[in-house]
Amino acid sequence: MMPRLSLTLSILAALLVPAAAAAVFFHAPVEQTMGVVQKIFYFHLALALSAFLSFAVACVSGILYLLRRERRFDVAGAASVEIGVVFTTLVLITGSLWGRSIWNTWWTWDPRLTTSLILWLIYASYLILRSAVEEEGRRATFCAVIAVAGFLDVPIVFLSARMFRSIHPTIITSDSVGLEPPMVRTLLLCLVAFLVLWAVLFRLRCSLLRNEARVRDLQFELER
Amino acid sequence: MTTLNQIGFLVRKDLRIELRKRESLISMAFFGVLVLVTLSIAVGGGRRVPPETGAGILWVAALFSGVLGLGRVFARERENGCVAALLVSPMNPGSLYAAKALVNLTLMVASQIVLVPVFFALFGQGLAGGLAAVVLPLLLLDVAFSSAGTLLSAVAAGTRRNEVLLPILLFPLLLPVVVLGVKASGAALQGKAGGGLGAVEPLAAFCVIYSVAGYFLFPFAAREV
Repeated sequence: MMPRLSLTLSILAALLVPAAAAAVFFHAPVEQTMGVVQKIFYFHLALALSAFLSFAVACVSGILYLLRRERRFDVAGAASVEIGVVFTTLVLITGSLWGRSIWNTWWTWDPRLTTSLILWLIYASYLILRSAVEEEGRRATFCAVIAVAGFLDVPIVFLSARMFRSIHPTIITSDSVGLEPPMVRTLLLCLVAFLVLWAVLFRLRCSLLRNEARVRDLQFELER
Repeated sequence: MTTLNQIGFLVRKDLRIELRKRESLISMAFFGVLVLVTLSIAVGGGRRVPPETGAGILWVAALFSGVLGLGRVFARERENGCVAALLVSPMNPGSLYAAKALVNLTLMVASQIVLVPVFFALFGQGLAGGLAAVVLPLLLLDVAFSSAGTLLSAVAAGTRRNEVLLPILLFPLLLPVVVLGVKASGAALQGKAGGGLGAVEPLAAFCVIYSVAGYFLFPFAAREV
């Protein structure tokens, strides 16, 4: 049986994600110069923000694990990195698809693209490390160290990426949102939908990882 | 014993071992030269390379030879349970980090004394900037590499696949350093005075961030080795 909160969130996500997709196609107007390709932007931005949230959560859980040594923080870190890597992969793919038709290239060394790619590489290496260590306590400590060290890299990555010239559009600045009202509504709906989806995936992965660890505990006790 | 004494003691111990066994330094310098020769042949043998490509080649050689030495810096302590002995000694585990980082820094600088002249011999034609141009960026690379690398070497040493995992964990983290360093030394090799100075500040910031992070995070990782 699923806990009630997970179940509610799952149902909510099952309604919100299709609604967001529908809003992208039917509610948001077609952009004047870029045409229909621009519609990928709504999912792209929502995924990018959720992915960044994952890495921040992983960093905080890493710090908490090192201070308290409780299994739940290790589990939270692992779950959020897994989701973050998947979401970043999708960000890179959607961005590439858009770039191919607008910039006429799959890839360019723009600050934001570089930052996403480097983050993807750092956290993919976290997952490799996770699969390489068997013993739970040791794995949790090492992963926490990497999650914290990886997140510390973010400001430097962004500074370094500024060395390349930028052709990435800046839609939302501190003074204005360069979007029509229906576009803003669509974007907000996509954001909410993906955050709920993030929460669902996070809770499900956490409970799965916790159960895995519990099964191993039982196995250990039986063997003793 | 003050912290500085502890660090000095540990550094002397490691350098003495290195001087007697010479297990890291020769392989680091040799492998670095090997990378340079390979890349020189790969770009067409004796052809002139643009300054930024040249800088990139030097940095690839420095990184690859550095990771070779880094793997040994901490893995050496695993033999005969030396890590446990060091951790139970009345020594701050942070000093252990500082000492290991300094040893690695020394090894990298020493191997680059061989690497850099070989680089200029192979790629020097057409580069306006001379030896002095790459010294500052390379030193910053060495500090950045040692500060982040020592932390990760403790993590990698605790796994069964040390040699494979260390570069996999370290290189993504060092990518911004590579970007900044290549820009800085590329501009310098072009002969622009003060070129690439904008990259020096973030590089220094990387060194500071990872030295502090290493000092605090290293003890956690070292206890698990």
